[in-house]
Amino acid sequence: MGRVKQMLASPAGRFMARYALILSAGFLILALKPVNDRVVDPYTTFVAHEARFALNLLGESARVDGQVLSSPRFAVQIYNGCNGLEAILVFVAGVLAFPAPWPRRLVGVVLGVLAIQVVNTIRVVSLFYIGIFKPQWFAVSHVFIWQSLIILVGVVLWLVWVQRYAPVPATR
Amino acid sequence: MLRRLPLAVLLAVGVWLVLRPVYNPALVWVTQGVARLVEYPRATVITVDGSYAIIGRSDLRADSGRLKSSLTQVHFNIVPFLALCFAFRGALRGGGWRRLGGAMGVLVGSHVLTLFLQVKAFFAFNLGPWSAVNYSNFERNLIGGARYFFDIPVTFALPLILWVASYPDRVLALVGLVPAEDASS
Repeated sequence: MGRVKQMLASPAGRFMARYALILSAGFLILALKPVNDRVVDPYTTFVAHEARFALNLLGESARVDGQVLSSPRFAVQIYNGCNGLEAILVFVAGVLAFPAPWPRRLVGVVLGVLAIQVVNTIRVVSLFYIGIFKPQWFAVSHVFIWQSLIILVGVVLWLVWVQRYAPVPATR
Repeated sequence: MLRRLPLAVLLAVGVWLVLRPVYNPALVWVTQGVARLVEYPRATVITVDGSYAIIGRSDLRADSGRLKSSLTQVHFNIVPFLALCFAFRGALRGGGWRRLGGAMGVLVGSHVLTLFLQVKAFFAFNLGPWSAVNYSNFERNLIGGARYFFDIPVTFALPLILWVASYPDRVLALVGLVPAEDASS
C-alpha cells in the first residue's frame, strides 16, 4: 500500500495509473453488447464508407453493404479489430492520462483520431488493392504488416503530441 | 528514438521472420499441452499447417469440424513490441537482455493463452450438439469474454505495456515525466 501511495505521488506514477485505468475502462466499454451494437458496429460501417469514398475517388466502383466493402473486382468485410478503434483507444488513453493542459489534450484527441482515421482508410484501401492485384499477399499484409503498423502509429502519434505539443518540465 | 523506429521495425520483422518457423510449432505444442492438462479425456489435437493452426478433437469422428486459425494473428504483436524496444539506443545493454527476455516471456504466455482460448471457444461454440452438451451458457459467456479480452485488448495493448514496463525510466524520460539523467539504467 505504501509503495502504491509512493508511486501515485509522482507525476509519472499518476500518469501510468491513469493510463492503465482509461485503457482498461475503454476496452471494457467497447466489449459491452449495447456499445458494440450502437457504437462499434456503426463506426465500422462508417470506416467502410470512408474507404468506399476513397476507392471511388481512385476510380473503383465500390459499394458498401453493412460492413462489406465490394467492387466488381474484390470484396472485403471489415471486422471489429480492423476498424482502427484499438489504435484510437491506445492513443486517446495516452493523451487523456498525460498531465497536459486540458485544451491541448482535447486538440490532441481530435487531431490524433483524425490522423488515425486517415491511416486506417489508407490501410483498408491498400488492402483492397492488394486483394485485387496480389491476393496471395492479402493475409500477411492484413494481419502482420498493417496490424503492427497501426499499433506503432498510435504510439508514434502520442509521442509526437507529447514532445511537440504538450511538453511538461521534467520533474520527479 | 522516433528517428530510429523505421530501422527498428525492419530489425523486428527480421527477428520475427527468423523465429516464426520455430515459434509456430512450439506455440502449438505448448498450447496443446495446456489444453490437455485441463480436460478429460485428453483429446485436443492442434497441428500446424504453414502459418495456421488446425484445431480438432481426437475423440470425435474424423469428419467432424476442424478450425483453421491464423497463428500470425496470435503472435504478430512481437513485431511492434521488439520495434519499440530496439528503437532505444543500447536497448540490450546492461540489464536490457534480461528485461527483454522477461517481457518476451510474458508475451509468449499471452500467445499460449490466446490460442488456448480460441481452442476452448471452438469447442464451446462450433461443434453443434457436442458443444451444447459439454458447455453451459455460463461457461460459454466466460470463454467468449476471455477470448475477446485476449484477441483484442491483450493483443493490441500488451506490446505497449511491456515496452513501458521494460524501460520505464527511458519511456518516462522520453515524454518528460522524469529527468533524462534518470533514464540511463
